[in-house]
Amino acid sequence: MDHKKANRKIVYDGVGVEMNYEGALIFALVVALGVLVAKLVGIYVKRMLADRIPKNELNLILKILNVSILSVFALLGLPYVGVNPSGLIAAGGFAGLVVGFASRSVVANLVSGVFLMLERPIKIGDQVLVGDVAGFVEDIQILSTIIRTYDGLFVRIPNEKLFTSNIVNVVANPVRRFEYVVGISYKDDAGKAIEIIRRVIDEHPFALKNPEPQVFVNELGESSVNIVVRVWSPSSVWYNVKTELLWKIKVELEKAGIEIPFPQRVVWLRGERDGLGKDVPA
Amino acid sequence: MFYPVNLRRENGRVVYEREGVRKILPECEIIVNPVEPVNLPKNVTRFLEVDFDPILIKPNSVETIYLKFPIEIGVFAKHGDKLAVVDVFSFEKPKYTLYGTPKNGVVCRWFKSEVYYEVPEVDPLRHGVMKLVIRNGGDWVEVGKVVLDCYGMKIYYSEFASCWAEMKVISKISAETSFVDRPIERGMKKAVEMWTTRRLIGRSFTMEWGLK
Repeated sequence: MDHKKANRKIVYDGVGVEMNYEGALIFALVVALGVLVAKLVGIYVKRMLADRIPKNELNLILKILNVSILSVFALLGLPYVGVNPSGLIAAGGFAGLVVGFASRSVVANLVSGVFLMLERPIKIGDQVLVGDVAGFVEDIQILSTIIRTYDGLFVRIPNEKLFTSNIVNVVANPVRRFEYVVGISYKDDAGKAIEIIRRVIDEHPFALKNPEPQVFVNELGESSVNIVVRVWSPSSVWYNVKTELLWKIKVELEKAGIEIPFPQRVVWLRGERDGLGKDVPA
Repeated sequence: MFYPVNLRRENGRVVYEREGVRKILPECEIIVNPVEPVNLPKNVTRFLEVDFDPILIKPNSVETIYLKFPIEIGVFAKHGDKLAVVDVFSFEKPKYTLYGTPKNGVVCRWFKSEVYYEVPEVDPLRHGVMKLVIRNGGDWVEVGKVVLDCYGMKIYYSEFASCWAEMKVISKISAETSFVDRPIERGMKKAVEMWTTRRLIGRSFTMEWGLK
């Protein structure tokens, strides 16, 4: 009988905690109940808020709820395995030191993750550039951030690296500007070209009225008169607007008989001379 | 008059067609009415900005003007009290703008209107009539634009679409705007709006970056 009883005991010498199978079972049940409650609350909150708040904010709320509910249930279950939660605080000091040394990078990532969630330089769904990785933010987890690159690759960036990197958030502001340089030949009328480009911009719904687009001759280049075109567009659609407008500008300029010349160079060869003793072109 | 929508029965179902759009619907009620103009060509904002020639408002006074605003046409399927959006189209070319600064401003559907002092005649497929009541509780102020949150837009229609908006002037550069849930004329019917089907909540908007 005593032998059987002894087999039911598990002793953790390190922290002086004693627990038995019944206690472990109850702890597991309490945690399982916590998982269930967290899941149900998550489903309910998701259903309630899905259409009302942005997806990234909803995900953040769901994560915080999930972790909070699980923590509460885990703390409720601890006494059943012989762990006094208040004792954990005392043990935590030393254990924290050990864990801190042993898993410095994990803790650094965790802390960076918390700061990223508080500072929120990026949100799920944003388009970002971090180092040489560019793409959409798929998820911001407690230890790492997931980026889906424009060519569909999965990139995991540890939060510590992300936190200390320069982050370019392409869609952080509601609008952004893009620019083209359109070269036209010297024989064509730059004023007419500017008028056509302005009309094309005006016809595009997402080329914003204000801030006003800018179209002006910027440079008399080697092979062309260079017209700079600057357009503001909503950040969420700027790339589509940029690609659509460029093609429309080309088509409309060509329709009006305005040439977009290739780079060209006139080569004069020495050797032949005219009657005045000057070089003539080959 | 030219209507681009075609509805016909096919194998006990209703087929909805409009240049490039084809949907098969069950037997249900179909509603076609004007909707808030922030859905085309793609929904990127909830705000509408109507610019007009600036008008001077006397101190402590109320001025009522009428403006035109662009409309889009929504097609809904209704079963019981549940609605689904079938299609949205428009005869009016959309244009967008930024109200405010590139950092803090808001993208708006843009429209330029003349100022009227009575209900103007409109092309009912393109434009609606907005009754704008400007309440100025302070000094002289010049107003040349109104920015409104369309997720709170209340559209009523009969022969034409209409809405009623209010602007409470806070200072020379700021005002609070909102829609009033009332028709501008008797006998108008309330339109089904896109934002109600999306269960989005509209509210008043504070114009902080100027009134002209």
